[in-house]
Amino acid sequence: MRPAVLFLESPVSKAATLTDLPVSPHARRGGLKARQGRFGVMLLIPALVAFGVVVLRPFIEALTLSFYKYTLSTPEPVWVGLRNFGKVLTDERILGSFVTTAIYVGLATAFSIILGLAWAIILNQPFRGRAAVRSLSLLPWIMPSVVTAFLWGWIFNSRYGLLNYGALEMGLIDERVAWLSTSAGAMAAIVITKVWLSIPLFMAFFLAGLASMDREQIEAARVDGAGNWAVLRDHLIPHLRPVLLVTIVLAMIGNLQQFDTIWALTGGGPVRATTVLSVEVYRRAFESWDIGMAATVGVLWVATILPPAYFYLRQLMKGAE
Amino acid sequence: MLDLSTWQAKTVFTALAVLIGFFLFFPVYWLVISSVKPDHELYLLSPTIWPNEFTLKHFKTALFEGGLPLHLTNSLIVSLSSAAINATLAVYAGYSFAKYRYFGRKPVMLFMLSAQMFPFGLLLITIYPMFTDWGLLDSRFGLMVSYIVFALPVATYMLYSYFSQVPNELIEAARADGASDLRIFHTIVLPISVPPIVTVFLYSFMWSWNDLLYSLTLIVSDDKRTVGPGLLLNYLNESNADWGGAMAASLMAAAPVVIGFMALQRFFIQGVTAGAVK
Repeated sequence: MRPAVLFLESPVSKAATLTDLPVSPHARRGGLKARQGRFGVMLLIPALVAFGVVVLRPFIEALTLSFYKYTLSTPEPVWVGLRNFGKVLTDERILGSFVTTAIYVGLATAFSIILGLAWAIILNQPFRGRAAVRSLSLLPWIMPSVVTAFLWGWIFNSRYGLLNYGALEMGLIDERVAWLSTSAGAMAAIVITKVWLSIPLFMAFFLAGLASMDREQIEAARVDGAGNWAVLRDHLIPHLRPVLLVTIVLAMIGNLQQFDTIWALTGGGPVRATTVLSVEVYRRAFESWDIGMAATVGVLWVATILPPAYFYLRQLMKGAE
Repeated sequence: MLDLSTWQAKTVFTALAVLIGFFLFFPVYWLVISSVKPDHELYLLSPTIWPNEFTLKHFKTALFEGGLPLHLTNSLIVSLSSAAINATLAVYAGYSFAKYRYFGRKPVMLFMLSAQMFPFGLLLITIYPMFTDWGLLDSRFGLMVSYIVFALPVATYMLYSYFSQVPNELIEAARADGASDLRIFHTIVLPISVPPIVTVFLYSFMWSWNDLLYSLTLIVSDDKRTVGPGLLLNYLNESNADWGGAMAASLMAAAPVVIGFMALQRFFIQGVTAGAVK
């Protein structure tokens, strides 16, 4: 859904919690000194077991299966080495879904970052009712994915849809367009849907980044005669650079993983126009029951997620001791 | 931070604000308004922006004639239980990572974090046959277990960050009084950690509640279905498209997460942004 991937850190405001405790301000906050390491390991075991069963084992098995032929007609997996990977390279349809994924991820990432940033800058200006607008802005992010898909499916509806009505009224189109039945229209629909549901989260990131902006620096620039554009370009954007980087990486990871809204809106169609990798893997596994090939495509899919994931984890662990 | 004293600046700013605001909010308005329009007003080539007639028919139909109440109940059972499982596991794991030092702690933590990046669809390929072997296919319990994939890594990280802030003096003082570590955790640390635990609970709940992929695949019979696939399979299929019903049912499906989120919003936003903004 939503928020495909996001990491949350300390969910508690510093103001509301620990500073209220009667402890010295010099309190140490790292690990406990004593040698209770074994007790710590015991606390970890339940989570580790659960994790091993539902994440690690399935992942390793999927890796392994990518070297096997495993279909409905061969119910016992047969070792085929790298043959599945070879097949991927020669299968135009699968290569096509890599291209489709690149288009989807590129468009959705670019637009959600730009609009999220613009919306954050707008909501950073003081105006009456701003707090209410900020919290309402998060609605698209918390909607269940099927609800989001229904909502946009209704807007994109070829006969009674709001989009066709609006576009006709404004003279942008001459006749009703069956958006979800054309390749470009369906791609536009899934991108717009994803952008809509991503803006809130990114807006929240950027707003948090803007909150630490040094106002005096901007005032000084104003005195030197900087206009709005110069302030944006020379001060706001450079200040947001680190946040911007993390947000772009998160957006890419999330978009690479997106499945629910695409499946509910277009099912990967028309034909294969919106068959991104997540849909490709799902169809191969649960429609054609070609588990081996599904695993192979899935492993390559993971490979596309690895570079941004590596970057993000490195950032995340920087602060961890 | 922008200077809006000139009319040009004001115009550009207002125009952008209205455009983006329209894009974000109008669909939500449209969802609500379409759910209360009677069918004859829903299927118009020139739709009415404000309905001429209001009806609760779609809500009644969804509540009394379809599978929605059953699917909502299933979602509630599965999401509440999986949130409870996740929060419990994450509480102990997060505390362990934050307050104890042992061999392999950091690599294990890094690995658990990276799990959030594994595509859920890939894991599903092998979870499916595994569940078939274990008799967990088409079972609400199985679905509940599979949802650990979604939220456990992030939940653990959230609580890890929180527990790292808990001063050691607090724990060491109790230790000097002779309390055991487990007892200290349960009687001293947990009581002051209710807000982050509730947040983690809600976070896990939202993931399970909003899921489509796992529920669609791991649940086969309609009476065990959760609300995501329930909506998808019942309202829009080849044979009919009941948009009014779909909108009304959508609103009811969104209500629990929207209400929960609004109630805990403050914690949530801080949690969400702190990870990306340091």
